Amino acid sequence: MRLSFDRYNPLRPDEQPFVGFDNYVFVLQDPLFWESFWQALVWTGWSTVLQALIGVGMALLLHQPLRGMNAFRGLLLFPYIVPTVVIALNWRWLFNAEIGIINHLLLSAGIIDDRIAWLSTPNMAMGSAILLNVWKYTPFVVIVVLARLQTIPTELYDAAKVDGAGALRRFRDITLPQLAEVLAVVIVFRTIWTFNKFEEIYLLTRGGPGTSTYNLALYAFDQSIANLRMGVGAAAGVIMLLLLLAGSVLYIRVSGFGREDKSA
Amino acid sequence: MTLRMTRRAALASGLAATGGALATPAYAQTRERVARVWGEPGPYIGVFTNGLNEWAQRNAPGLRFESEQIAWDAVYTKLATDLAARRPPALISVESPIAYQLAAEGLLEPMQDVNQAIRARERLVDGFSIDDFGTWKGTQYAVPLHHQGCLFVMQDDVRQEAGLSDPVNWTWNDMLSGARAIQQRRQGSAGFTMALGRNLCGDYHIQQLIWQAGGMTWDPARSFETTFNSAATIEAYDFIKELYGTMPRSAVEFSFLQVVDQHVTGRTGSSFYWGRTMGRAFDEAKPIYDKMEYYLNPAHPRTGARWSWTDINGFIMPRQNNPFVREAKEALAHVMNSTDWMVRYSTSLFPNVGPVFKDQASAPGIQQHPMYQAKRRSVDVIFTGFVPHACNSGHEMKKGVNPLAGIGHGRNVWSQVAQRILVNNENTRAAVEWGHRQFEDIRRENRRLLG
Repeated sequence: MRLSFDRYNPLRPDEQPFVGFDNYVFVLQDPLFWESFWQALVWTGWSTVLQALIGVGMALLLHQPLRGMNAFRGLLLFPYIVPTVVIALNWRWLFNAEIGIINHLLLSAGIIDDRIAWLSTPNMAMGSAILLNVWKYTPFVVIVVLARLQTIPTELYDAAKVDGAGALRRFRDITLPQLAEVLAVVIVFRTIWTFNKFEEIYLLTRGGPGTSTYNLALYAFDQSIANLRMGVGAAAGVIMLLLLLAGSVLYIRVSGFGREDKSA
Repeated sequence: MTLRMTRRAALASGLAATGGALATPAYAQTRERVARVWGEPGPYIGVFTNGLNEWAQRNAPGLRFESEQIAWDAVYTKLATDLAARRPPALISVESPIAYQLAAEGLLEPMQDVNQAIRARERLVDGFSIDDFGTWKGTQYAVPLHHQGCLFVMQDDVRQEAGLSDPVNWTWNDMLSGARAIQQRRQGSAGFTMALGRNLCGDYHIQQLIWQAGGMTWDPARSFETTFNSAATIEAYDFIKELYGTMPRSAVEFSFLQVVDQHVTGRTGSSFYWGRTMGRAFDEAKPIYDKMEYYLNPAHPRTGARWSWTDINGFIMPRQNNPFVREAKEALAHVMNSTDWMVRYSTSLFPNVGPVFKDQASAPGIQQHPMYQAKRRSVDVIFTGFVPHACNSGHEMKKGVNPLAGIGHGRNVWSQVAQRILVNNENTRAAVEWGHRQFEDIRRENRRLLG
């Protein structure tokens, strides 16, 4: 935070003059910052919503008492465990429009006639980056939601069945309310972590093509390291912190997290 | 309970402490010191470091040189952070634009003494001068290490199949029509490939076209005025836009590796690249290698220029917080005075690392290399033929050294302009004007370097 009020070029470490709010003015007047901000919203919004939806769905499936389920639950953690750098570089190969296996398989199966430029067109690149993020982090949502599902008393479901409630009704009136608090926490965490995510986009697309996948984390990195404006990069980081703080408080208030405890 | 120390125990403890204190300097002297040497990815920096260690074993017991490979795109980033952390490497193999910038920043150790010790002036191959590697305001800050020119790589079987003439005399027009002809002839294959991703490789490929058209980013002759928004620059980008029609669509995300991949997998008839494409094909795709030829870049139809973005690479040495200056200089001179070590360096990734010394270039180890024997014309273009056309962003069209280029290195403005045109469908002039503003910002923020 202190650095955001200084001008600091790492090649000139002995010069670090105080510049007041100049770095913040620079950031807020930079069109690339606003472009990155909107892209960060798209990237975070889609990633978090898909992770929550798919995560809850998979947790419900894995909650079934079937044989071998524990092994499957363990395997599910695989994407979450593998280092991001390994995943991103592998995905670059998989999604390579010219020699990637995904296009090869789709072409061989006759599903597509022409190669898809997965990482070379703005919409497809953003979609591919979101897909990677969803694939890697959905297991986190699954594990947290599954843990909560296992603590819901089965008596609630038995009573609802006796009262004639169908599966959908039981999900809406029992499961979902019971998951509300854990989902609130998961969504806040996933939002914060995804909004700040740097390495996946950097390794997969470097923010391109153009600036179509450029998010605020990349903006802060490029300003600090490539452009050697450490103060500007720090200011961008502080702005990200404030945005996330405001967003988290707003979300927790709207979702009613902790309200029951207070009233009790 | 109280602890009471006996006289004997106190004496023993005192003796042990004294012994330990006396032994510390001896321990420190025998402890290994590590001097880091940075180089590009590839085996060559490791080979050079082996030579440095040969000197260290004979002359500086306890000193070990250790190579660190830094990806092309990451050199600038890592350098900035390590210098800021006051933990620089002992030696850095670096492209001249970065050498010029760091020299202008006052961060480098003068290297005249090493250049004299290795008789660099007399030994340097024709067409290069020591100053090309990193001299700023009359002081030599770099020791010549290697050169790599970006050239036009063509599959001759594909060219003949498409009924195209010898590329030796090609202009931009021939290149464009040739790429189109190849594309039509070979369905699913690109006519031409270059890097257009937002990365250093994209910057290099684009810049050489700008120079060929007569454009520059900054003009040292006019107080480093930003001249990027010239008609020549716009012409070059318009040409890239036309060429893009003959490239794979994904070229807008290509960097170094993808261009080579594209060529050695037979997915393009021609490309821009340095010597590595030939080396990779030799290792992995013999039929491609057999028909591969290197040519000077096609000439601009009006200017006739064939500029090549050349990695004019030398060893520089951080001046501050570098405890290895004397030893690293002596070790450097030891390796560079050895034709044998320099040949091993060049041949470790043949023909990617062009020899800088005459004795090295004419040594049997290079002249009798199987690739040289099999493709003498192409290797001659790579090693010597391109030299009159060699320049880079630090010395655009050889019109004066420019320390701003190093800063431009990290920002990928040249390739961002191309992406605005090709991906965002922005008007060429508007995209070039955007780039001009970025370069003008660099100039304004770093005016102090220009003296």
